[in-house]
Amino acid sequence: MNYKTQGKMLFIATLLLVGVALFMLLWGQYPIDMASFYEYLHFKFVGTSSLEPETLSLINNIILDIRLPRILLAILIGAALATSGAVFQAMFVNPLVSPGILGVLAGASFGAACGMLISDNWLVVQIMAFIFGFIAVALALMIGSMVSNTRSSVILVLGGVISGSLFTSLLSVIKYVADPYSTLPTIVYWLMGSLSMAQLHEVLAVSIPILLSIAGMIFMSKYFDLLSLGDEEAKALGINVKMIRIIAILLATLASSLAVVMAGIIGWVGLIIPHIIRMLVGPSHRLLVPLSALAGAIFLLLADAISRLAMSVEIPIGILTSLIGIPIFIFVLKKARAAWN
Amino acid sequence: MELKAVLEVKDLHFSYKKKKVLHGVDFSLYKGEVVSLLGPNGCGKSTLIRLMLKLLESDGDIKLGDKALQKCSHKEIAEHIAYIPQYHNVPFNYSVLEMVLMGRISKLGIFASPSEHDYQVAHQALQKAGIAALASSSFGELSGGQKQLVLLARAIAQEVNIFIMDEPVNGLDYGNQIRLLELIDSLAKEGYTFLKTTHYPDHALLVSSRVVVLNGGKIIADGKPEEVIHSQMIKEVYGIAADILMHEKHRRCLPVFG
Repeated sequence: MNYKTQGKMLFIATLLLVGVALFMLLWGQYPIDMASFYEYLHFKFVGTSSLEPETLSLINNIILDIRLPRILLAILIGAALATSGAVFQAMFVNPLVSPGILGVLAGASFGAACGMLISDNWLVVQIMAFIFGFIAVALALMIGSMVSNTRSSVILVLGGVISGSLFTSLLSVIKYVADPYSTLPTIVYWLMGSLSMAQLHEVLAVSIPILLSIAGMIFMSKYFDLLSLGDEEAKALGINVKMIRIIAILLATLASSLAVVMAGIIGWVGLIIPHIIRMLVGPSHRLLVPLSALAGAIFLLLADAISRLAMSVEIPIGILTSLIGIPIFIFVLKKARAAWN
Repeated sequence: MELKAVLEVKDLHFSYKKKKVLHGVDFSLYKGEVVSLLGPNGCGKSTLIRLMLKLLESDGDIKLGDKALQKCSHKEIAEHIAYIPQYHNVPFNYSVLEMVLMGRISKLGIFASPSEHDYQVAHQALQKAGIAALASSSFGELSGGQKQLVLLARAIAQEVNIFIMDEPVNGLDYGNQIRLLELIDSLAKEGYTFLKTTHYPDHALLVSSRVVVLNGGKIIADGKPEEVIHSQMIKEVYGIAADILMHEKHRRCLPVFG
């Protein structure tokens, strides 16, 4: 595949994302037709409109207060989780890892819950989430290397399972001591994963670090291919393996921890999206990483649509991505073995 | 005027933890040479080439051109030396072209991705290695010999003069061994410099301008192939009997049962 085809694929995926996002903006309990949407935009940018002022203000509310923040958040989080998943898989040369499996999501949620317990400041929560997300990966790696000094895919997964369980237990301790009337429900609902709390200004604030870390990972993606050759060969080809690993792991941890802070634990996205993309376009990370970002965003937008509309009450999106993700993963695992073995 | 070494090692000692592997090795590589590094298992061949690529850290005196190797970044080293390891499996299934493109990484700026030029260089490298037809095949499905050629093509795409190969014919079938040696020979005639480790004195006779013998962590012989490879040396290093015969224009090393 040459670089022109790659550019075309990225362009098509971007178009698809924009299309799905636009559709989500108009579709819902209160559908907005294209004509009204056009009138609304006309009003926003030119100042005149043929619509009634009440209709305009209703559309304005629906779009700016309800749908747009949610859509933007779904895009950010889907992209963050899928990109981090692709990057973790590249870093550990292990197609079985993801932010969830390495314990990052559990660690970050423990950190965020601690943050909620000790402070009302959102920044404290974010920083705590990042720190514990990072501790969780480090722990998974440590346990992995303690048990076996070979670089076994399975051992690292086991390390992640242990690290994840540890932080899940610690999180239970926090839940146990949290105020059952205020803090506990907040923590529980947030953990199930939801995009509905999103406020536009919060989303915009968190979008900066998330987008920067995703952009960083995309820029580094050409180095990731070399890591799968083994450290020695990668060094001989001229890259600083240690530095690339550290920076990439930090960026992936940051992106997935912030996703946890904003929407709780949304599992499986980071595992299945890179697999699906690898199945479709091959393992080259220059294409895999940005395409995973776009596909993750599209996937979460669609999952959110289902979570809103499948039942009369909203299903927490974290539960939904697991329900969708598990069968897809079983299917993908069977098909994808050829691509990494 | 004395020729300038492109890669120079002076009185190099190295140990893994307590096990001493190299005991004072002096070695220089000059432009245009094809050097075969011979020696039994565990003599320190692989250690020596890893040290020269800075894949092992040491405080020994190794120079790349005029610069101390320790002061060179991996990128700088890759701008002068290409390393061709023994073929191996890769966990992700890259295409052959992708594998060769990886040789271009040291040429790319931090934020650049491979350009049309890089793709062209990769295709030309495949052509030079005689495997242009394999460009879009997947690396994992190739035979050992083809994989080794891809790694050689990757080194060609790196656009450097010095190639360091670790037992290039290892694991290849008889035909591919000889074809690879022929390819090395023809690349050497184009001016590439080779340093390769080998287990086969006979291959060293076929393709080398110089042979270095490493035994027990010391260089015990260094010179023209016909001077270095003789029955006594084989007996001393490998503990077996061998005859050196002339066949057409070439010397050949033929082991005989004692």
